Amino acid sequence: MTDAYSDELTAAELSVGDRGPEVVVENLERRDFVKYAGASGDFNPIHYDEPHARSAGYDGVFAQGMLTAGIAAHAVADWFGLANVRRFSVRFQAQVWPGDTVTAVGEVTEITTENERAVVEAEVRVTNQNDEVVLTGEAVGRLPNA
Amino acid sequence: MPTKSFEELRAMVGTSVVTVDGFEVEAGKVEEFARAVRDDNPAHRSQEAAAEQGFDRVPAPLTFARVSSFPRYRAVDGRGIDLGFRREYSIHGEQSYEFERPLQVGDVLTGTTTLTDVYQREGSRGGTMTFAVLETEYRDESDELVVVDRATAIETAGAIETGDDDD
Repeated sequence: MTDAYSDELTAAELSVGDRGPEVVVENLERRDFVKYAGASGDFNPIHYDEPHARSAGYDGVFAQGMLTAGIAAHAVADWFGLANVRRFSVRFQAQVWPGDTVTAVGEVTEITTENERAVVEAEVRVTNQNDEVVLTGEAVGRLPNA
Repeated sequence: MPTKSFEELRAMVGTSVVTVDGFEVEAGKVEEFARAVRDDNPAHRSQEAAAEQGFDRVPAPLTFARVSSFPRYRAVDGRGIDLGFRREYSIHGEQSYEFERPLQVGDVLTGTTTLTDVYQREGSRGGTMTFAVLETEYRDESDELVVVDRATAIETAGAIETGDDDD
C-alpha cells in the first residue's frame, strides 16, 4: 500500500465517471463495534449489548454509522490524498450487522479547473455483501491539475 | 414530538455554545482510531511515513473529530444545546466535514457548536420527523479554523428509521 501514497493523484488523470480504489472490510464483528466505541467515545450500548438492542426493537447489535463513515473516509483519503480532501459528507442509509462485508468506493461526478488546481467532486457509497447501499455521501478534493 | 415545541426549537436557531475545550490530538488515540476504522495508511502511525506524505506532524483520519465526545475534551454535558429530543427516538441522519487541513497530532482544539437549522418533514412511515443541524467549528491554539463539523440530528416519529444512533 505504501507506493499508493507516494504519487499524488492529479485531476488530469481523472474523468467524470471514474471510480476510485475500493476499500473492502470483510466480516465486521461485534469486536469491531467495541473497538470503534473505545476509539471514538461512542458508547451507545445499542452497538454491543444484544438484550439492549433487542429491547429497542432491533434484531441485534449493529455497527456505529460513524464506523462505516470512517471506512468510506479511508477510501476517499486513499484516492484524493488525505491533505487534498476539502469536504466529506455522509448520509446513513441502512444498518451494518455483524458478519457483513462492506465495500466503499467513490465515483467522479464533476471536475472544475481552477488556476493551479482542480476541484474534483465525487459520490461515495458503501454497500454490503448483498449490494444493499448502507451509506451514501459526497467528497470534494482539491487536486493538482497535472 | 420533542419535549420542546417546534416554535421553541426554531427560536433557538443561532444559539452558540463552546462545547469542546482542550481537545488534544494525541498520537496513541490517532493510531487507535485509524485501527478501529481499518485505515492502514502508515502516516497515521509514524512520523516518518507522515513526512513522506508531506505532513510535518502525524495526521488524523478524516472523521477523527468524533473523538471530541470523550468527557476529557468536553466543555459541557451532552451536546451542549438541549433540543429536547427523546433519546430512544433520536438518530444521527447525516454528517459532514469541511476541512481547512487534516487534524494533526499536537493540535489542541476548541469547538464551538451552533444550532444552524431546525425543520420538520413527514416520516416515511407516517408522523412528523424533526431535524436539527448542529455545526461545530474546531479552531487550533492560534485560533485558526481547522474543520467545520456539521451533524444532523433527527427525532423520528417513533418508528425506527434508518440512521446512526445519536448520543
